[in-house]
Order: sequence, then C-alpha cells, then structure tokens
Amino acid sequence: MKYTDAVALVKRYGVEFLEGVVTRSVEEAVKVAEYPVAVKVISEEITHKTDRGCVKLNIKDEECLRGSYEEVVRNAGGARVEGVLVQKMAKPGVELIVGGRRDEQFGPVVLFGLGGVFVEVFKDFSLRVCPIERNDAVEMMQEVKAYPILAGARGKRYDVEAVADLLQKVSKLLYENEQIMEMDLNPVIVYERGYCAVDVRVMP
Amino acid sequence: MNIDVLFDPKSVAVIGASRDPSKIGHVLLRNFIEGGFRGEVYPINPKTDEILGLKCYLSVKNVKEEVDLAVIAIPAKLVPEALRECGEKGVKGAIVISGGFSEVGNVELENELKEVCLKYDIACLGPNCMGVINPLTRVDSVFIPTYKMGRPKLGGVSFISQSGAIGGAVLDLMARQGFGMAKFVSYGNGAVIDETDLLKYMADDERTRTIVLYIEGVRRGREFFETLKGVTKRKPVVVLKGGKTAGGAVATKSHTGSLAGNAEVYEAVFKQCRATEARSLDEVFSFSKLFESQPFCSGERVGIVTNGGGLAVIAADSVEENGLKLAELSPESVERIRERVPAYVNVKNPLDLSGDAGAERFEVAINAMLEDENVDSIVVGVLFQTESIDSRVVSMIVGASNLKRKPIVVVCPGGEYAEVHSRILENCGVPTYTSSSSAVRALRKLVDYSKFVDKSRELKSS
Repeated sequence: MKYTDAVALVKRYGVEFLEGVVTRSVEEAVKVAEYPVAVKVISEEITHKTDRGCVKLNIKDEECLRGSYEEVVRNAGGARVEGVLVQKMAKPGVELIVGGRRDEQFGPVVLFGLGGVFVEVFKDFSLRVCPIERNDAVEMMQEVKAYPILAGARGKRYDVEAVADLLQKVSKLLYENEQIMEMDLNPVIVYERGYCAVDVRVMP
Repeated sequence: MNIDVLFDPKSVAVIGASRDPSKIGHVLLRNFIEGGFRGEVYPINPKTDEILGLKCYLSVKNVKEEVDLAVIAIPAKLVPEALRECGEKGVKGAIVISGGFSEVGNVELENELKEVCLKYDIACLGPNCMGVINPLTRVDSVFIPTYKMGRPKLGGVSFISQSGAIGGAVLDLMARQGFGMAKFVSYGNGAVIDETDLLKYMADDERTRTIVLYIEGVRRGREFFETLKGVTKRKPVVVLKGGKTAGGAVATKSHTGSLAGNAEVYEAVFKQCRATEARSLDEVFSFSKLFESQPFCSGERVGIVTNGGGLAVIAADSVEENGLKLAELSPESVERIRERVPAYVNVKNPLDLSGDAGAERFEVAINAMLEDENVDSIVVGVLFQTESIDSRVVSMIVGASNLKRKPIVVVCPGGEYAEVHSRILENCGVPTYTSSSSAVRALRKLVDYSKFVDKSRELKSS
C-alpha cells in the first residue's frame, strides 16, 4: 500500500501520526521543511530504509537538506520511489513498535514491543488475537520484559494509557480491514503525555 | 450431531472384528467384551460366523437390534461404504480407527467419508484415531491390549488428543500415576468432529472438571479461539501444542510478520483465552493433577515445610523464581508450632523441621499453616530417606489435603521407597513432585488461573 494511503488509513482510525510531506523534488522539500527535519525515501520496494542509507535524521538547515536529499535518493538505487518524505523531527521519547499480521488460522493479530534491541535482539514482544479489549491491551504491555521502562523504572513514567488506546485502535483497524496482511507502526514514540507514530507500512 | 453417543452408547458394532489376536479388530472387540462394557456388542465380519463367542454379522444392516455406535477398523477404501450402511441402519455415532486418509494425502477419500457422515448425521470421530475411553461406561475403542497399556481410573480430568500415540502414552502414565479420568478422546484427522466440538462437549460434560488438550494444529481457528475463551470461564484447560518448531517460516515483509510466527500466535491465543499452556508432557501432568485435586487459590503467599534444610532453601528459591511470595507466619502460628517442636527448630518460613522430624512435627506445622491467614498454599517437602519418616506422614498429609482448605503439594525426591509413598499420595488425591521447581511452577499456574476465575466472578456479580 502506498505510504500516503497507509498514513490516511491509520489516521482514520485515530492514530496520532507525525506530520510530513512526500516531496517529488529537492526544491519542494526545501519549501516545506520546518527544521529540524528528517528525510526518508518512500518506496514499497525498500523494507529496511535505515540499513540502506535511505533515511537522514536531524537536518538543521537548507544546505544540509539539499545534501541529504540527494544522498538518500542515490542510496535508493534503482528502486521504484514514491517520493521523499520530509518530516519534522519527533521529540525524543521511548521507541515502540506496534504492528499486526493476518494469521492463517486465527485472523488478525496485533503486536507490541519496545523498539530497538528489545524487539530485535531479545525478541521481547507480545501478541494478541484481534479484536482486543482494554485489559488485553494493558496485559500486552505488562507482558514484555522491558515494561518497567515505560512504568517509571528510570524516573519517567510514560503514557501507557495512550498506548493502550493505540493498541486497541490498531486492533480495530486490522479486524475491520481484511485485505491487510501485515502492518508496522515503527517507530511509535511515547512521551510522558501522548505518543506519535513516526513511520507506517501496510502490506495488503 | 450427537457426540454423547460416542461416550455412552447402549450398543456397539465392531466393523472389522477379527478372530486373529494380532489384529486391531480383535483387540477392539476383546476390550469391549472384557473391559466391562455393559451394552450389546456386535462383531461385523463377512468372513466368519463367530468371534470370541459372539455371533458375527455380515453387515451392520443384518443386526436386528438397534446399534448406537460403530467402531470401524477396516481398510480405508472400504470405510465410506461401511459408514453408508451404518447411516442406513440408523447408527448415530462412529469411530473410524482406520488410517489412510488425508494424513497420507488421500483427501478425496476423507471428503467422501465426511459427506456420508453429514448426510446421515453420524457423529464421527477420526479417521486415523484411537477413539474413546470412558471409565464410567467402559467404552474403550483404544486398540491397545490392557496388558500393554493401563486404563486410568474414574476421575475428573478429560483428555482431548489429536494424536493417538501421545494419547496412548498419556493414558498409560495416567493409569500408573493413579490419575482419575473422566473421558479420553483421540480424534485423529478430525474430519467431522474436531477439537472445537470436543472442547464444547467437555465444557458441558458434568463429570469433567479439568480439560487437557493436545493439539498439533486447529482447523477452525476463529471458532476454536472463541470456544476456548468461553470454556476457560467454566473449567481449567491445560493445553500442549505439538509441532511448534515445524511448519517452516512464512515469507514476510514486515517486522511484525517476521516476529509473529505460528508458534507465537498459538502462545498468544492460549494466553488470551486463559488456557494454561504446558511445554511438555511432564508439565501436562504436573499442572492438571494440581488443578484437578486441589482447591483454587488466588493468593500468592506460600508456606514451606520440610524435614530437609536444603529442600527448604531450594523450595524458597523456586517460590521467588516463579513470582510467588514466601508467607510470613503469623505470631500465633509461630507460637503454636514452637510449643510443640524441639527448641533447635527455627520456626520461620521456610520451615525446616530438622532431619529427625517425624509425622507429628509435620502435622503440627501443616495444621498451623492451614489455620494461618497469612498462608495461601503449602509446599510440603518430605525426604523419605530419613530415619524418622515412614508411612504415617502420608496419612497425615492426606488428611490435611482432604480438608480442601488450601492447596497442598508434596515434593518428595528419591528412589523406590519415596516413589511408593508418592504413589499412595497421588492415589489419595495429593499431587506430588520430584522437584520443588516443578511443584511451584504448577502452583503458579493454579494461582494465575484462580485469579482469572475470581475476576470473572467479580465481573459477573457486579
């Protein structure tokens, strides 16, 4: 599914999504940028954008933007590209991954985990069959080993209520849209108040 | 569909009954005759007149009396026709032991079997299964002679098994461990009746208090999910899922897809449905015997009493590891115990009664813990190897367990002597374990399930 359609879909379900503009040229990018920004190549053919050098973060001025724009496009090589996303930098918080998949037997399942090493290395995530109730969403968060980080183990208590909402929204989206086979909201950044989803992929 | 007829038929036809003792058709018939089944039994075999003293019939249609259930053990290709005859005769249930259907790629033949059963409304188990054991009605279609595989006594655990082999091993172990069973069913390919139907049946079955489920996969995922979710509100379900590593990875494009494989989804399903997942056959036993024999208990404070200091320490570690809490004995119980044990016994939890303790000291301690409001469950560690321990401690523990006030589990590692006593305990409904880690892990599962039961009761009453 095209990036812009995927963003529209998750927003329709009330997911807080970090604004951005998919641009077609460097001039357009320069026009819309409110620094600091990130640029990302949007292509259905590129799964791991960061690994391929198709993402540049924390761009502070026009000069840097022009250079980064050119670089990420070059790194995309011959891939079919939808455009280059110019997105405001998200404020720092704790990175989460929220996703979903359609299981052959049980239908849509929703996934939750803390981003970075927690999911990638420690496989620390939880799953539930959709649709989920509030207590399922709460349990999903509490089930991961990294949960204390959200609950205030390192001083800050993050907005787990908002994340529970998000999980229920994603579950509803997956349940109601049978054509979706897989989806990732990755990363979602959670704050002491609220969260925002920074990137989305939806695979029909 | 009348699933009940599989467990409680008034009459049974054994299609493929044989005079040859090495044949399944012979063992089946023998088990019905010698196993104490009180209904009528009709051997069906066109090639002979009499088997094991019973008149043999050409076809089920030649039996004049009513036939409730047909147990079928003939070559696969003949099965649909035999079922058709059953249908015309008005047979309500069938257990198809024969293999050679979808499990070997013969999908068409299985579809034919299914069509016949649906047409005549036959409750059909299998094909490729071991069928049913009901210790109450003595229906026994498991084609293994009793000298090779024991049959469990009557009790409250019902076992639903996709696999026949696992089913057989479990039955044999259950029989040996003195486990009480309500019903056993192996459903094989599940062409007509599958795991979801059987779950529903066991949920409604009055004799079944605990359900054990062995599956390798499910057919109707969504219905299974909804059913399981409903069933656990009524009875505990212990589930073992085989084939978690098999099945090959599905090609996925997303992060989520690569993380959430088939095994992970099953785990999520069990969690979400509040089924208790066992990771091995050992755990199946260890969990289900506790669910079956002891009262539910949502409290996490464990009292430990033993005649071995080392055992006390290890048991306390197990309590921590499993996220339970060591109970703090009330001043009253400390006082009560202190009055009746030697001064060198340090009265605290875990309570080491010391190596010279006999049944009397155990009695004092266990009774105090049963009374103590700070103690939710009791782990009794008995080293049967010591001089002063003998069979009296067993009767003492059984007496305490029979009160059904708090869950009591016994840890008794050891050889022959310990084993004999552990078997007596098991037979009297006290769950025993050879290690404190398995005992406390089981206790953890009981606590988790009990919490869920409490919560759903609260929701109901509010």
